[in-house]
Amino acid sequence: MRKQMIISVMSKDRPGIIADITGAIYQLGGDVADLNQTVLCGYLTMILSASFPPEVTKEDLLAAISHIKTSCKFEVSIKELTADQQEENMGPPEETYILTVQGPNKSGIVHGISLFCYNHNINIFDLATTLKNDQYTMALQLDLKHCTTSLDTLQQELEEYSRQSGLTIMMQHNDIFQVTNEVTLH
Amino acid sequence: MLRSDQILATVEMIQKENLDVRTVTMGISLLDCRGGDVEQTCQKIHEKIVGYAGNFVATCDTISKKYGIPIVNKRIAVTPIAFVGAGFLRDDFVRIARTLDQAATAVGVDILGGFSAQVEKGMTRTDREFIASIPEALAQTEKVCSSINIGTTQKGINMDALAMMGHTIKELAARTADQGGFGAAKFVVFCNQPGDNPFMAGAIHGVEEADAVLNVGVSGPGVIARALERLIEKHPEPGSLQLDELAEEIKQTTFRVTRCGELIGRVVSKSLGIDFGVVDLSLAPTPTIGDSVGEIFKILGVDAIGAPGTTAILAMLNDAVKKGGIFASKTVGGLSGAFIPVMEDAMLAEAVGDGSLCLEKLEAMTCVCSVGLDMIAIPGSVDADTISAIIADEMALGLINAKTTAARLIPVPGKEVGDSVSFGGLFGASPIMPVRNIGKSSRFIAWGGRMPAPIHSFKN
Repeated sequence: MRKQMIISVMSKDRPGIIADITGAIYQLGGDVADLNQTVLCGYLTMILSASFPPEVTKEDLLAAISHIKTSCKFEVSIKELTADQQEENMGPPEETYILTVQGPNKSGIVHGISLFCYNHNINIFDLATTLKNDQYTMALQLDLKHCTTSLDTLQQELEEYSRQSGLTIMMQHNDIFQVTNEVTLH
Repeated sequence: MLRSDQILATVEMIQKENLDVRTVTMGISLLDCRGGDVEQTCQKIHEKIVGYAGNFVATCDTISKKYGIPIVNKRIAVTPIAFVGAGFLRDDFVRIARTLDQAATAVGVDILGGFSAQVEKGMTRTDREFIASIPEALAQTEKVCSSINIGTTQKGINMDALAMMGHTIKELAARTADQGGFGAAKFVVFCNQPGDNPFMAGAIHGVEEADAVLNVGVSGPGVIARALERLIEKHPEPGSLQLDELAEEIKQTTFRVTRCGELIGRVVSKSLGIDFGVVDLSLAPTPTIGDSVGEIFKILGVDAIGAPGTTAILAMLNDAVKKGGIFASKTVGGLSGAFIPVMEDAMLAEAVGDGSLCLEKLEAMTCVCSVGLDMIAIPGSVDADTISAIIADEMALGLINAKTTAARLIPVPGKEVGDSVSFGGLFGASPIMPVRNIGKSSRFIAWGGRMPAPIHSFKN
């Protein structure tokens, strides 16, 4: 069975980073599955999953990446997944919801919402925020599979949170966003 | 994950703009429920409805909660009862109507359609007994809706049945005079009635259908109105926005609205193990402020509903809705177009009250949209033949244009022009619509027989 690794890389942004990193993976016989990258304030961060032949270790991969010639050093972190974790990693569960939060910018919005999620054992899959004209907007993709409260109670608590914080908060099932924005109907 | 702006556009649509699934309607075939006598038949009907729809309402509620989209109505449509009760007499049909009402109550649906007959070419003895039973059947029941198909483009119009319709409607109103003639709001006359329409009062489970099927009616005039307003707001300079761009906005918005209906329909049908039939793309207004088709006319440029230009706007709206919806859904059917039910649309009702919208303009508008002269309160004194003749005009539009048309007229007992009537809830309220040339069509209605099918029906 091939070995699954999760690799995270941060560096000052420049052309060629993805080519460099995936080149190192390719030389070790690795196969990239998922890759996510984003650039913020001139810094690039990416996280990717790749599978390797069983004899490749994370030290081999670290060495391969450290041999890349680059003006700005890569900050790299690598995790090997166990067989159990690999099985768990099979696509998003059915109970995926999208939470949107909108309101005037102030400190503590992201912390407050993420703490709310943590307190209900809700995992955040994905999170994007934007600040425009002093309006802060967050969109979170949430996994409610292990949520400790019912959907009804959760919606009520979000309403209460919305009232107290003055933020506009909505939570809707992920499928709704897919069907209204994508051509393919899954 | 999707982009934030896509996510926010969807959030706006659902939470702020009255997006809902107007109805999920379960069609159930009752053709195998015929017993040796009426009692046995009623028992089988009850068992079959409860058997199929026992978990229907609870399932819809669960799914509605999961997705956060309200399903406003849960309904049942059955095989036209005149087929099921062939050979039965008037009182037997009233008995069946009561059974349907009890079954609808037992499973908790809002309303049940299919107390119906299809007589576009000729009437059997059963059909006559059935039609005679309608006023009492609807007066004795709460949830049962009735419809008669009296014409098709293929067969022409049954003028004998047409002549009876005016009397049926008058009697329905008279028997429910204490409720403003509400009985007539549960009865609709069709030309080219579809067998998979999920909207009431005209829903039936056509004889061509399987044992059970789920059809979904989407809604969303409010969503379209708000989308148009936003687009217009973004283009304040005169000449920077043209009608084709507005049509495109309607099309794209309808796509999203329809997709939500399709999603809900598929999930409900999967959980119930019943085939998913069609999404009906109709824009169905409600009396709620901001959920009006009438409002869209004003947004698109006429200052009064019924002013010249109204029919053209409706034609464009109806077409754009079909174009957006048809790509969004695997199977589209039913009526699929914009509805203009006067009482159910606060702004249309208002336009009747201020005199800008008249019966003749509404008739013209129904040439370019679904469905017809719908939910129109007329003076209680209008005679049966005049009502039949209004229906005849509406049927002729469907006949010649090969489209569905319908008439749901309510002659409100004791009320005249200047008065108004309210049925409450989704049925709404309206001032009484003036009818011109009353009592001048009796000789036409008296001919009877058939209006022949039009030349373009002969395609074989």
